[in-house]
Amino acid sequence: MSPVDEQQPQFGTLAPDNWKLAIVVGLAVSALAILSLPVKDSFWVTGAMVAMVAAAFVVNAYRRHYYGGLLVSPAIAVLFVMNIFPLLWSLGLSFFAYQSNQQNIRFIGLHNYEQLLTNDLKAPELWGNLTNTAMFVVLTVTAQMIVGFLLAVLFAKQFPLRRYLLILVLTPMMLSVVAVGVFFSYYYDPTFGLLSQAIKAWAGGEQFILMSNKAGAVAGIVFADAWMWSPFVMLLVLAGLVSVPKYLYEAAAIDRVSSWRRFWSITFPYIRGLLMLALLFRTIEAFKLADLVILLTKGANDTMTISYHVIRIANEQNKTSEGAALSYLLLFVVIVLTNLYLYIANRRARGN
Amino acid sequence: MSTIEARKITKKFGDFVAVKDADLSVAAGEVVCLLGPSGCGKTTTLRMIAGLERVTSGDIIIAGKRMNELAPEKRDIAMVFQFYALYPALNVGENIAMPLHYEKISKPERDRRVKRVADILHLTDVLDRMPGQVSEGEKQRIAVARAIVREPNCFLFDEPLSRLDVELRHSMRGQIKEVLAGLSKATVIVTHDQLEALTMADRIAIMRDGIIEQIGTPHQVFTKPANVFVASFIGTPQMNLVRGKFEGMSDGKATIQFGGEKVELGVNPAVAKLKPSQVTLGIRPRAFTPVDHSAKDTIVAAAELIEPMGAETLVHARTPDNSDIRVVVPRDVKFKIGEKLHLRADPSQTHIFGEDGKAVRA
Amino acid sequence: MAEATTTFWERLGLRKASGVGEAGWGQTLFAAVISLIYFLPVLLFIVTSFKLQTEALAVPPKFFPTSFFGLILDQYIFSPTLANFTSVFSRAYTAGAAAESTGFDRFFFNSIFIASTSVLLALVIGTLAAYGFSRYPLRGNDTYLFIILTTRMLPAIVVIIPVILMFRVAGLAGSYPGIIFLYTAFNLPFTIWMMKSFFDELSPDVEDAARIDGSSETRVFFKICLPQVLAGLAATFVFGLILTWNEFLFALLLTGVDTRTVPVALNQAVAGGGIGVLWGLLAAIETLFLIPVFLVTFFLQNQLLRGVTFGTVKR
Repeated sequence: MSPVDEQQPQFGTLAPDNWKLAIVVGLAVSALAILSLPVKDSFWVTGAMVAMVAAAFVVNAYRRHYYGGLLVSPAIAVLFVMNIFPLLWSLGLSFFAYQSNQQNIRFIGLHNYEQLLTNDLKAPELWGNLTNTAMFVVLTVTAQMIVGFLLAVLFAKQFPLRRYLLILVLTPMMLSVVAVGVFFSYYYDPTFGLLSQAIKAWAGGEQFILMSNKAGAVAGIVFADAWMWSPFVMLLVLAGLVSVPKYLYEAAAIDRVSSWRRFWSITFPYIRGLLMLALLFRTIEAFKLADLVILLTKGANDTMTISYHVIRIANEQNKTSEGAALSYLLLFVVIVLTNLYLYIANRRARGN
Repeated sequence: MSTIEARKITKKFGDFVAVKDADLSVAAGEVVCLLGPSGCGKTTTLRMIAGLERVTSGDIIIAGKRMNELAPEKRDIAMVFQFYALYPALNVGENIAMPLHYEKISKPERDRRVKRVADILHLTDVLDRMPGQVSEGEKQRIAVARAIVREPNCFLFDEPLSRLDVELRHSMRGQIKEVLAGLSKATVIVTHDQLEALTMADRIAIMRDGIIEQIGTPHQVFTKPANVFVASFIGTPQMNLVRGKFEGMSDGKATIQFGGEKVELGVNPAVAKLKPSQVTLGIRPRAFTPVDHSAKDTIVAAAELIEPMGAETLVHARTPDNSDIRVVVPRDVKFKIGEKLHLRADPSQTHIFGEDGKAVRA
Repeated sequence: MAEATTTFWERLGLRKASGVGEAGWGQTLFAAVISLIYFLPVLLFIVTSFKLQTEALAVPPKFFPTSFFGLILDQYIFSPTLANFTSVFSRAYTAGAAAESTGFDRFFFNSIFIASTSVLLALVIGTLAAYGFSRYPLRGNDTYLFIILTTRMLPAIVVIIPVILMFRVAGLAGSYPGIIFLYTAFNLPFTIWMMKSFFDELSPDVEDAARIDGSSETRVFFKICLPQVLAGLAATFVFGLILTWNEFLFALLLTGVDTRTVPVALNQAVAGGGIGVLWGLLAAIETLFLIPVFLVTFFLQNQLLRGVTFGTVKR
């Protein structure tokens, strides 16, 4: 191991770990580039300067054994550029009146938010979409948790064909959501769809139009979504189930523990954390439900979700800043829910 | 009656034979230790008795009832696992109470019984803790408490003390023995530690490669080992086993030639029936008495390494035919390295094993 | 009864449960039936991919490719064809015209290239970060981790508008680096969370021992830690692959003609059917598209099972 050089390099020296000098030079060059070069070129020059500063930090961290920062920095950099920076940008954008198909941009403060929450037309729409979303969240997540859990229990024990049957059950998760949308609309089709034909054969009638009312449309979407994502819950629960040491079950057999008690006293504690995690992941995802709705109903029959609404405003209607504002309202709801979840999870953890 | 009987039980895992034709019977109140090196099939034997493994062939009879096909739940047995198998999500008291739920007794009665075994095993103070918060010795006692909290047909222990340090092991040996003595149940203990087996067992079954080599009281297996393996496995320091040629017997003394020298040793009278052949001579290190000069019945060896063991001294010595022998002498007998020892063996502790490795004994 | 030899049924695995944690043949059969029912929607569209359009729309539906020795009535039988699979890659857009390339070979290449590159990149960067978070906690470590997780919570659309603007400025819109970089960021949060839970589970004693023996930090990471988390790497890889492979929204908005991925192309095929949706063709596209990710998941499924505990299970 090389000895650690505690001393920071002098500002004036030209050394690869002189990050202070790198920052100053980088700022100067970037400023010059922005002032003198076309936008695209100055972007790349600035990028190169950022890379130079980053390199200086890396060499500095390596020489002084700041391994923590060194290891974490690439990830932070990527996340900053691709997630955090755009997030801040769109947060800023939400205070402006801006449409991506128009040039002019105007600061309007909280007007977008105010409009969304109080406007006679927009507020009820938003509220309706939010309740729809909440309904989808409750229905799909409940269905996924129940089905996923039951599937996991089915696969908890060892049996000969397990490996092959398991992959069959996991397949829906591997499908593209576009494909799931396409094929469920094929199965739901009133004329040649399997569902309609099965109902016709069983109950008679001309044809069965699932998407003809809200209940049917919601059921159709929930069924497809739950079918696609229950395997995810199953995978998490199954991972918990197979991690229970076998000798505990052996001891339970010797102790003549009933299967009900065995489940609650031995098995459940192993899957509790993963069940909560599955709940969190699926709830967050369910909040973002949009693509299946687009593919199956296009929002007809009052199946509009908040996420689809955002896409419509921001992308189809080009109301960029209004979409951004709406996203932030949604993000706020998600963060409140997550914190509620973390609060409950932590209290449970402390309770034990 | 609380008894266990295993009749010619065999267990195969694919082509591998883990246990072969093992016969074992344990009477009520008797403690039998299954002793052997790791991989000898002793744990598999125990698990077959418990019903955690099915026998490939043979019969398991517990309390007079054939139980081959019965699941562990139906056998009414108690078992202490090697890694204790404490339920991690339940506290100590709940762990101990777990086997009682089957009996559908009232909660106060359950608490009373938990309290009783907790008192016996000094666990009263930790009843509210989680298994992760107690010491290794306490975990072991909790596992024992969980086994004795009810009245099963029999007790099974799988390496119960293997995870404890030397001192705890010593005290737990005594405790378990005491607890078991008060219960008069058939008990099987699996162990690889001969000291554990010798101190705790009424009888010991020594296993090797899936076969029970000898069953007997600790005294029997120590003083009358059935074969070379048992002789070498039981006793510390290990018994001296020297190859030699048996030439004949006269006057109760066998003439054995090894390393070009002949000695006449007092041995079991049954040796007289033996034809002249290659034999293994077995003498425990403590069965030697050093004498001043060479005689017909003494073995000569040069001291090579001297290890004081406190009360006694262990001497490693080399015979002229280059076999290494161990001799334990009282600490006041002093030797120097290189010094010639003349050793006379106690005839009652001199064992002759025939070419098949079996002891020749009346 | 002594069971000295294994019976025919036992060799098939259909036997009474012989030990704790093994299912009997009854449960095995039940699991098989349930699995097949669950798989049925997938199976049906795989079957559809071998049907011509008229057969795909037939009433009553034609389920079976053969009569199974006369067991199945003729009206339920279709004649299987590979026409859909060839027309995935080249077909005539108008009746009578010459077949021309559909560009799907390119789209498949794009999907494979973009997904594998970005998942591997995220795996490298994320594993390093996870190791850092686990072994050299920074001040406010948990806050960073929480922020990282939060970036996965919000609707993609919030991020995507600024990203589009940014990509336009940088000239990255519709290019490979742009979408790969974006997917890398998209995969990073759960990569870091999963891998950190694995590093947290390792005993630091072994690493310290290696350090005392004179191993450098790099050596400790590559020779001691990494080999112990291979299951985690595999699980994270499969997870990332499944998510990235099927990602639709970012791909729709950020890929150009040359970098278009299969889900986007599939969506266009749905919309641009002309005379009606070509179900057989769509089924063929998705069947082909499913194969790679199915195989990867199948071969890594044991690691996936061991790997997805996210550190919630103490071993």
